[in-house]
Amino acid sequence: MALESVIIAGGGMAGFTCAKELRSRGFTGRISIVDPEGVPYDRPPLSKDYLLGTRDAAQIRLIEAEWFEQNDIEIITSTVVGLDTAAPAVTLADGSVHTADKIVLATGGTARRLPIPGGQLPTVLELRTRKDADHLRSVLREGTRLAIVGAGLIGAEVASSALSFGAEVTLIDPVDPPLIPAVGEVLAHRLHRMHAQKGITVITGVPTGISVDNDGVHTVELADGTSVLADVVLVGIGIVADTGLASTAGLETDNGILVDPSQRTSHPDIYAIGDTARTRLPDGTLLRRAEHWEHAMNTGVTAAAALLGQDLPEHGASWFWSDRHGVHVEGVGSMLGAGSQVIRERDGIPVAAFRIDEQGLLAGCAAIDGGMLVRAARRIIDRKKPVTGEQLADPDVDLKKLAR
Amino acid sequence: MSEAINIGSIDEIDEGEAKVIPAAETGTGEDIAVFHAEDGNFYALNDNCTHETASLADGWIEGTEVECPIHSAKFCLKKGTALCMPATVDARTHKIEVSGDDLLLYPNVPAVVDA
Repeated sequence: MALESVIIAGGGMAGFTCAKELRSRGFTGRISIVDPEGVPYDRPPLSKDYLLGTRDAAQIRLIEAEWFEQNDIEIITSTVVGLDTAAPAVTLADGSVHTADKIVLATGGTARRLPIPGGQLPTVLELRTRKDADHLRSVLREGTRLAIVGAGLIGAEVASSALSFGAEVTLIDPVDPPLIPAVGEVLAHRLHRMHAQKGITVITGVPTGISVDNDGVHTVELADGTSVLADVVLVGIGIVADTGLASTAGLETDNGILVDPSQRTSHPDIYAIGDTARTRLPDGTLLRRAEHWEHAMNTGVTAAAALLGQDLPEHGASWFWSDRHGVHVEGVGSMLGAGSQVIRERDGIPVAAFRIDEQGLLAGCAAIDGGMLVRAARRIIDRKKPVTGEQLADPDVDLKKLAR
Repeated sequence: MSEAINIGSIDEIDEGEAKVIPAAETGTGEDIAVFHAEDGNFYALNDNCTHETASLADGWIEGTEVECPIHSAKFCLKKGTALCMPATVDARTHKIEVSGDDLLLYPNVPAVVDA
């Protein structure tokens, strides 16, 4: 029987992309997106332009609001609270039950809380939604003491943005430098050092407890016995995949909803995409669950193709970006794993890092302000083009030519 | 119909490269990127990515597409169509004509798409 209706639970990058792809691939049946936040928006600006107030809510929408009506895609502003795999159907917060031929779970995750005393305090902030960003913006002003736990992507970006408010920022991370798995050690050092150069207090330490006094001043205690006083505490240590609905409904989960390469869960009528999905290969191997924007987009495309019985798209090496302190960071493939690392310097400053795997092929690349270099590297990885460490290290070698 | 601007010799833009004609010269209020695509032809789009601020002329040109250098949105050079996220708005096209060895740009005149 031909597919007639799809409900997508979650209107983030993954859910939105799935809906958009279903339409652009010719699906004319019913599409509903259920999301407590309504019209889909893009999350990366939450730690940057949106937090700064230079782009407003309308400007970070994934597409203009009218598009959904024009494309006959229903947006239901609600939360899915129950999943019936047999019907299949979803139950919404108001108790209403909605059925569809297929259901796509794109519910993302929730910000991970610190598993320490005080980690659950409501005044300890997180940044996951527009509302979170609105609140954070409202408390940042000249002289605000902001302590950020976690100096990965979001923590580092917020630290950078908070300087624009005149905040006094302390950035705490257990490792120095963070992001080695993403960009390699050399670039990770360069990026992490930028914080101190911009006036941020950088602490390498492990938080053991957070308390707040009657004046709203927080004390973040660290394992070495020192502590940090802060008016505002933000924690950015990743997310916990939202698997509750799925596991209650009997779907297989393991730090994510398990899906096959077509994004189908252990039930043939239920798919999962984006941050909440974790791929299990046909041989049983579990891949690392990805929490990146591009992964959300790609899995949305794949699910749309799979739902329509079309050939699955090939996505190639994974890619991410981050913006902080006026620099644009990108990474492609994986810097983590066996092989050798090669650094490209310009005027004595490391601008790019590469990993060559044991077969001598390029497996990962990261660069600071090197967008074209990363785009070239991505094609070299995907096309398995032969390159040498000498070429990669030489700033005068144009990778674009090697990628052709 | 607006006047054509002679933007220089076809030899100034290698295949797979692009050049920016600044807003002051285009008269449209926007920079225009002129691309020499891998099909050998020249195409022109508004230079600024329709997603966020980025110069498409600095992007990756492949076949008859350009990929934004910041967030990897792709656009069709012939029609300006936004081909993938994060771009959802098409890029504006402008007509380009090769006259002898010179490139003529017609700002605000949409490119004519054959086939």
